[in-house]
Amino acid sequence: MSWTEDQTLICIVQDGTIYRYNVHGEVLEPSFSMGKECFEQNVVDCVFWGNGVVCLTEAGKLFCVPDFKEIKPCKLAEVGMGDEELPNCMAVIEPQYTVSGNVEVLLGVGSGIVIVDEDEVRFIDEEKIGGVVLKIAVSHNGRFLACFMHDGRLVVMNTEFRDFFQYQCESALPPEQMAWCGLDSVLLYWDDVLLMVGPSEDSVSYIYDEPVIFIPECDGVRILSNTSMEFVQRVPDSTVSIFKIGSTSPASLLFDALDHFDRRSAKADENLRLIRASLPEAVEACIDAAGHEFDVSRQRTLLRAASYGQAFCSNFQRDHIQEMCKTLRVLNAVRNPEIGIPLSIEQYKLLSAPVLIGRLINAHQHLLALRISEYAGMNQEVVIMHWACTKITASLAIPDAALLEIILDKLKLCKGISYAAVAAHADRSGRRKLAAMLVDHEPRSSKQVPLLLSIAEEDTALMKATESGDSDLVYLVLFHIWQKRPALEFFGTIQARPLARDLFIAYARCYKHEFLKDFFLSTGQLQEVAFLLWKESWELGKNPMGSKGSPLHGPRIKLIEKAHNLFSETKEHTFESKAAEEHAKLLRIQHELEVSTKQPIFVDSSISDTIRTCIALGNHRAAMKVKTEFKVSEKRWYWLKVFALVTIRDWEALEKFSKEKRPPMGFRPFVEACIDVDEKAEALKYIPKLVDPRERAEAYARIGMAKEAADAASQAKDGELLGRLKLSFAQNTAASSIFDTLRDRLSFQGV
Amino acid sequence: MAQIPNLENSPLNLKFLREQSQRELVNILNNIRGKKCLVIDPKLSGLLSLIIKSTILKENGADLRHLSAEPVDIDCTKVVYLVRSEFSLMRFICSHIHNDTSKGLQREYYVYFVPRREVVCEKVLEDEKVHNLVTIGEYPLYMVPLDEDVLSFELDLANKECLVDGNTKSLWHIAKAIHKLESSFGVIQYVRAKGKASVRVADILNHMQAEEPVDTSDMVMPEINTLLLIDREVDMVTPMCSQLTYEGLLDEFLHINNGAVELDPSIMGVQQEGKKIKVPLNSSDKLFKELRDLNFEVVAQVLRQKATSMKQDYKEMTTTNQTVSELKDFVKKLNSLPEITRHINLAQHLSTFTSKHSFLSRLDMEQTLIEAQSYDICLDYIEELIHKQEPLVSVLRLLIIFSITNSGLPKKNFDHLRRELLHSYGFEHIAMLNNLEKAGLLKKQENKSNWLTIKRALQLVVEDTDTANPNDIAYVFSGYAPLSIRLVQQAVRSGWRPMEEILKLLPGPHSETKRGGFSSSPSFDTLQGASAAVDRVADGRRSLVLVVFIGGVTFAEISALRFLSAQETMAYDLIIGTTKIVSGNTLTETYMEKLG
Repeated sequence: MSWTEDQTLICIVQDGTIYRYNVHGEVLEPSFSMGKECFEQNVVDCVFWGNGVVCLTEAGKLFCVPDFKEIKPCKLAEVGMGDEELPNCMAVIEPQYTVSGNVEVLLGVGSGIVIVDEDEVRFIDEEKIGGVVLKIAVSHNGRFLACFMHDGRLVVMNTEFRDFFQYQCESALPPEQMAWCGLDSVLLYWDDVLLMVGPSEDSVSYIYDEPVIFIPECDGVRILSNTSMEFVQRVPDSTVSIFKIGSTSPASLLFDALDHFDRRSAKADENLRLIRASLPEAVEACIDAAGHEFDVSRQRTLLRAASYGQAFCSNFQRDHIQEMCKTLRVLNAVRNPEIGIPLSIEQYKLLSAPVLIGRLINAHQHLLALRISEYAGMNQEVVIMHWACTKITASLAIPDAALLEIILDKLKLCKGISYAAVAAHADRSGRRKLAAMLVDHEPRSSKQVPLLLSIAEEDTALMKATESGDSDLVYLVLFHIWQKRPALEFFGTIQARPLARDLFIAYARCYKHEFLKDFFLSTGQLQEVAFLLWKESWELGKNPMGSKGSPLHGPRIKLIEKAHNLFSETKEHTFESKAAEEHAKLLRIQHELEVSTKQPIFVDSSISDTIRTCIALGNHRAAMKVKTEFKVSEKRWYWLKVFALVTIRDWEALEKFSKEKRPPMGFRPFVEACIDVDEKAEALKYIPKLVDPRERAEAYARIGMAKEAADAASQAKDGELLGRLKLSFAQNTAASSIFDTLRDRLSFQGV
Repeated sequence: MAQIPNLENSPLNLKFLREQSQRELVNILNNIRGKKCLVIDPKLSGLLSLIIKSTILKENGADLRHLSAEPVDIDCTKVVYLVRSEFSLMRFICSHIHNDTSKGLQREYYVYFVPRREVVCEKVLEDEKVHNLVTIGEYPLYMVPLDEDVLSFELDLANKECLVDGNTKSLWHIAKAIHKLESSFGVIQYVRAKGKASVRVADILNHMQAEEPVDTSDMVMPEINTLLLIDREVDMVTPMCSQLTYEGLLDEFLHINNGAVELDPSIMGVQQEGKKIKVPLNSSDKLFKELRDLNFEVVAQVLRQKATSMKQDYKEMTTTNQTVSELKDFVKKLNSLPEITRHINLAQHLSTFTSKHSFLSRLDMEQTLIEAQSYDICLDYIEELIHKQEPLVSVLRLLIIFSITNSGLPKKNFDHLRRELLHSYGFEHIAMLNNLEKAGLLKKQENKSNWLTIKRALQLVVEDTDTANPNDIAYVFSGYAPLSIRLVQQAVRSGWRPMEEILKLLPGPHSETKRGGFSSSPSFDTLQGASAAVDRVADGRRSLVLVVFIGGVTFAEISALRFLSAQETMAYDLIIGTTKIVSGNTLTETYMEKLG
């Protein structure tokens, strides 16, 4: 049975079951077992340390729970000794002090000491230690061992088993209990007698007339008897230096000086003068001694002495006294019998203030905890939070609204406190309504939303998530609702919230195509379904199985036609509907073309491309057919045909085409196409036919015929154009002079 | 010269931001011991090159690969994926893992999401049953400094996602990024927003400030005074126009990617087979810093001058006797020679595009559209482009300008042009047309356009712009002053109030809020009154305005902002934040989701 660091009482019974209790004696569920082997073999001994335990079974096997925060029993290496022979004693070195970082168990057996850890057994034999060990205690810092030997010697050694201290006890019987008292003395207890050994060869013995229990602390040992609790500790050096009878240490003199000062005696000054050089040390010693003092009035006197001395020091760290006062106020407060935590200063320092506060709130001393944390300048969130949770648990009778007010009133004290955490607790305590009210006050959406989900407030959660603008939260809610509700209801929910809806669509577009179709259908967005179908048709086309010309075109076209029908359901989408119709038609024609030409180059090209390809292949009839099928305008037809003919460099056909009839927008296409492929001679055939002199001028310019360009430009009587042309011929001086003369002439004419 | 820009001259300590990102990445790699294969989302890799040298990654035991459908073929037991939290990318990761398991390969998988893990992505991993095989982490990279005055959030789809899909994920990201800036540089006091997305970002930002207040206790004075949020939707005309600044043209024709262009070596006059060479473009290049914001017409002149003076010096050098100090000067000048050659090469390459007939007539057409004259000529011109099957994006850019300035196309033309588009470029573009319509970029005319009023009120067309000695931002488009920057100009000068009427004509709401970083201090009001004087902080630096473009900004607009910032009468330094640097092409391409 032992307390853990966070003040849970751990009890291990014979069959290896671990029960846990909190400070109020309530069982903490669940309880654990040390494992099946342990259950069968019976636990005979347990050794606890800060947050773990090692159990020894009757079969001599060791089991260990390294951390009570996360109870995972594990078996240590087999010691391999006889079944009937159990070790004389057992002790552990805490994981934080071992090399491996795992716990090490020391067993005193018949012939020496065995060190066991998770996967290794080391044996230290008798000769090295000098006897059979009957009792072991490990010092608080894990570096020293105190061993009681069969011959009544107490041997202190380090963890390498090199002894450096021995003491012969009067009794050869092993003590009932043995513990380190601080780091330099050992306490042993036999019936009625308590023996304190160390730090030098001295020993002190006390007589007790009732049985006692040792509780080792970092700086001493608590001795618990039926009637009282005592604390044994070696008197701290500073205290000794002040209060030792006849002491002449500076600290003692300083203390004395204060006494004289109070009695208005001039001896005060004398004392001070005596210790002038070592005054700072004296002050330090007084502060230190005050810290170790349990009696409040003596603390006060010591501190007064310190401050009296400090007044005569020039360079002294003044905040030491202040700090000590603070610490002592805290200590005195918790030492109050009503609170009942009699800590020494060393223990407090080791424990640290946050842990102390944790213990206080566990003991439901919230007010004191709050004051202390406020006093020590720490965050009060922990305390208030714990208080709120406890309040909720304890106030089953108070109605939600009233309780909410009480709690909010206190939560306001602390900025940035997590309302969500309190609300979660309320929910766990079965007060869902209260939880909902509380969570409403949580400013952080990222905390609020998940909790709302857990208390089944999905709609509020969705609202809050969309408000926050954090798409991640919206998705979280979305998936939650999706899983929980039937599809139709889900659709209804998200349809009402555009952000949620759009995010759902974005996700579904990528991963849940069919489901998305259902959604659009249920909300009557037929055109969206049509777009999806259309898209699918392309995916069919991309599918390597649907290589060109295969029967897969059947289903492709069918999908497009379905899309076409859906589009035509609504008036607004006649354009799309027509486009789908044309697309289906195009695919059919392209398919036929591929069959007739035996060239898989048509499918999925555009109408214009199809026409160009047909012409390039010399299949003018097919091109014409496509043109009439899709009512291609004359203008486009001319561009397409000219480009196609130029590409295959069929100049004859091009010329023939130009003479077929008067082209709809003149001969510009012919000129441009020829210039584009750098065929000046061909271009020249058509340039003179351009009607607009400006176009003619530019066309000449583009093929580098400056004079002709200039002539055309002057015909157009366009000065600005001339200037521009001149610029482009800037490198050519002959050409630019032509422009100058022409422009001069123009300006004379006053244009 | 390095691609990672030098940030020494930045008005804000951006170097700190970059170093922080650097450290975080190195930490991630160091926490995974031993040799590992780092598989990077291709869209991130360019970005990482702006933060960290790839050699540093290699020093930390990482082999680099790009994420694609192809399985990771490398002998390595640890695979680290660094991906944007896009659920579409999860497919690749899942298929990689499935591939490995089917081959019996056992590997440790780590997936680091940029900038944060998301439920959707994890859901996909869960559905594919690989969730328990991967360790998931986050790499909180919300923004990257592209240059000393430009920050990018690298959300290239932000504009399209907001306008078409209603997916506002990017807005949260932007707000978060700004919030992060605030936590390093103090709470921004004034927030002005125009446009739906902007107002929403301002909202979310306030929400975040309420949830996790920036710790202002140890800050003397916030470094950024004003945040200006401009939604790209407010001005879609500007990015569609051809940019005419040097940097803008480089982007239009050669596409600047993460502060560098890739070119054929022959253009740079290097004899090198095959591989393209990377030319970094940022302010570490002194000459580029000088040239980038100039109108291209002027760039040629400046370069010519520099070359001539160089030649002159050289001549003097060979003919006359020089003192040692003159020699020194000369050598110093010689050092800038490679930079001059580089930019002469680039400019020459650009001029092959700009002197083309088609480019010039296109500029003409843009100008005509913006001046809102003779729409018929424009329609004919656009139709002819379609008939000639000119690149689709360039057609769309003109169509979008048309549609916006005219508040839509007349129904007859609308259907006709759309049909011609489908016929010429294929029916798969129906999805794109649908997207553009949803976004309101290409639509049927429903009411009368108010473009003329806007144009007049904001003086969008400026006659007689002197490109060499500009006195107005209109120089960047040779006569058109970008609408977006006009808004910034007004907002910085006098806030929204004097121009409410005009703002109402532009899409989306606007808002103006004063936030209380210092609201608790009693002298708040007096502090406000004296703010004009306080703006010029003691050390002589001007206070800062952060201009954030939601949906992207073009280089030309950035140039215009730099021009504003350089004005004597300007009381602020401007820092630019953007979801991405865009050009008309890249912006339009985001809408071109093909059906197939």
